[in-house]
Amino acid sequence: MLRRLNLKCLLLASAFSLAAAAAHAQTLRVAMGYDPVSLDPIATSDNGSIWTQLLIFDTLIRPDKTGEGLEPGLAESWTVSDDGLTLNFKLRDAKFSDGTPVTAEDVRFSIERAASEASGWGRFYRPITSFEIVGEREITMKLAEPFTPAFNNLALFAAAILPKAQVEAKGDAFFDAPVGSGPFVLKSRVRGSRVELAKNPHYWQEGKPFVDEAVLEVVTEPSARVIKLEAGEVDVALDPPLNQLKELDSKDGISVGQTIPYRADFVQLNTTRKPFDDERVRQALNYAVDKNALVQGVLYGAGKPAASAMPVMAYADPDLQPYAYDPAKAKQLLADAGYGDGFEAQLVVDSGAATSRNAAIALQAMLQQVGVKLKVQMLEGGTQWETTKAGNYDMSVSYTTSDTIDPDQIIGFVAVNPERANAYHTQWKSDRLNELYAEERKTVNGEARGAMFKEMIQILHDGAPYIFLYHPASAWAVQDKVKGFEILPTSNFRLEDVKLEN
Amino acid sequence: MILAILKRLLMLVPVLIGITVISFLLLQIMPGDPASRAMGTRASAEELQAMRELWGLDKPIWVQYLYFLRDCLTGSFGVSIFHKKPIIDLVAERLPFTLAIVGYSTVIALVIALPFAILAAANRGRMLDNLIRQIFVVVIAMPPFWLCYVLIIWLALRMGWFSTGGIGDGFVANLGRLFLPSLVVGLSTAALVQQSLRAALIDTMKADYIDTARAKGLRGHEVFLRHVLPNSLISTISIIGVRVSWIIGGTVVVEKIFSVPGLGSLLIDAIVSRDLPVIRGLTVFFAIMVVIVNLITDICYALADPRVRLE
Repeated sequence: MLRRLNLKCLLLASAFSLAAAAAHAQTLRVAMGYDPVSLDPIATSDNGSIWTQLLIFDTLIRPDKTGEGLEPGLAESWTVSDDGLTLNFKLRDAKFSDGTPVTAEDVRFSIERAASEASGWGRFYRPITSFEIVGEREITMKLAEPFTPAFNNLALFAAAILPKAQVEAKGDAFFDAPVGSGPFVLKSRVRGSRVELAKNPHYWQEGKPFVDEAVLEVVTEPSARVIKLEAGEVDVALDPPLNQLKELDSKDGISVGQTIPYRADFVQLNTTRKPFDDERVRQALNYAVDKNALVQGVLYGAGKPAASAMPVMAYADPDLQPYAYDPAKAKQLLADAGYGDGFEAQLVVDSGAATSRNAAIALQAMLQQVGVKLKVQMLEGGTQWETTKAGNYDMSVSYTTSDTIDPDQIIGFVAVNPERANAYHTQWKSDRLNELYAEERKTVNGEARGAMFKEMIQILHDGAPYIFLYHPASAWAVQDKVKGFEILPTSNFRLEDVKLEN
Repeated sequence: MILAILKRLLMLVPVLIGITVISFLLLQIMPGDPASRAMGTRASAEELQAMRELWGLDKPIWVQYLYFLRDCLTGSFGVSIFHKKPIIDLVAERLPFTLAIVGYSTVIALVIALPFAILAAANRGRMLDNLIRQIFVVVIAMPPFWLCYVLIIWLALRMGWFSTGGIGDGFVANLGRLFLPSLVVGLSTAALVQQSLRAALIDTMKADYIDTARAKGLRGHEVFLRHVLPNSLISTISIIGVRVSWIIGGTVVVEKIFSVPGLGSLLIDAIVSRDLPVIRGLTVFFAIMVVIVNLITDICYALADPRVRLE
């Protein structure tokens, strides 16, 4: 009898404790505009996948919240030799979500995998030619020749540390139910609809994440994300339409925030075509555009004018000013170049990008003032990309974003010719800049390397193969009970730092 | 009957071969390189080339076509470049939601259209008939994206009766979740059905055999239920058949606004990212669905109207 009573008490007690736990189980719901394609870090480049992966996996080092430096991730400390050829990492005492420890062997496996043929990011990791496992929690990486961005590239999602044994055993199926050392673990996923995450009980940051579960709801329509927030169906709405920001902020119980991420918007100028082969014409176009008006009119104030095609990131020159709005000077420059009566040109723009479309219409009006007549041609995004790649355009509204805080990747893309894209298909070329690019990649991080970037960006600014437009902000809107949510300059977000207050 | 259906299925073969050829050739003309779309801005020329080789994009067109035919015959319809999964798997994940909208919206359409069509036909030429017609003209003229937001703002946000979008777990949850998107699709169907059914009812009521039925001494509602309505519904069957074929791939706007992962948005996303195997595979899949829906329509036709034979 007593026994049975005990059992009953036990059952009752456990029922109560379950109920108590359920009452306290907090779920953070986020409306996100992208559907993650894959959770394999080396196979993806879409935002939805990257953001989700960064919640599940860790990297050795990671960009800090200001986006200006790197901070410890799975590595608690590191040293880079003076010649830049040896990188040594000491790992913290961290565990994967299944409880197994993160070892130097896992690090070696993950970086080698990221450098493999199957990786979309191989070029970033191949300069690391050998690994030496010093101990269970210490690893040394060696480069055959200096390549300064190699260190920084380890902070990229593609270099996420995976459990070797599990990936080898399960192959591609591992990524359907991945195991990582990050703050969350994948609970379930419905493609095109949502990703459900639960707290990783073994996470190395004591006490985090604060919430028990996080749900990423895929809502591709920006207005629909805002409506979901207003209806209380989600706690966070990413990227609300910029024209609704003010109205949202004035609503009770909702607040908005914004960050300027690593992104720069501009108009590519095809320098193989007249009159864009003339530097004076290109500069004149820059003087003829009122960037502040664009920020107000097109971005609804959420952004700032750009001085170059480079996002503002490590080694950016804070003193470099955007081209002033000076139509008189623009006319003078055009006259000097022999285009006193102006000229006609075609501007292609992605018909699916509302902001770019609006910018194109504004540019048409602004350049009209200096005698330049633009014909705006709306193209489907993929077609625009292909048209500019083939060099089959006059001017094209475009942008670039960076995945890392090191400017090497982007300067190589937008300013170096010949390189991957030949100065992003403008075919513009500066021998001095090319030299500096080769030099920078061999120079150890520090002032000297910083000076090289400043000079390169100055050359790009003066050469003006683009009309530099603006750096648009990334916005978010949250219920007031959400504390500590922010989008980082790398465009992702750390849900482990978010608290829900009742 | 079964022989006739088999014959119709056999006729599918040349149709499908034609569709594979056309969809394949059209995509060859479309500008856009899937490798550079997938790799983004970071890829070097060698990496792009490696990717093209991996997906067989460097092979001659006719070889690529044969690969495509093989994939269609084995039932995978090819492998998505972006999702790296067989297309049939992607379709299987999304088909239930698309079929749910097809079925749900059709039921809603009939529930709305039938009474109004009967009411209008019974009062033809009078005020009520005109009023009903005007209302349905307005309904058909409303752009779906606008109607979606109006319904969300009124019924979901203000009144709180429905969720603003997304899908739930299980049948009952989705019955609520998919109501508004199905209503938007169903309203357009209802407008079409109401107009054609009204006309059909009026025509049928003038027919001689209706007079005969009356002369036999059948009462008004008996005449209507046994003779007028069944004979008029035949036109409705074909309209619904056409609508269903369209809804399977054509509800992108509704899917996007209500965050429903259906086939339409899969196709549009594939077009934007130049996921050629998905575009091709889905085109063929849609074609098969259209043929099947047409077949079902014809069978219904034959069942409803003994004069029609499946030959």
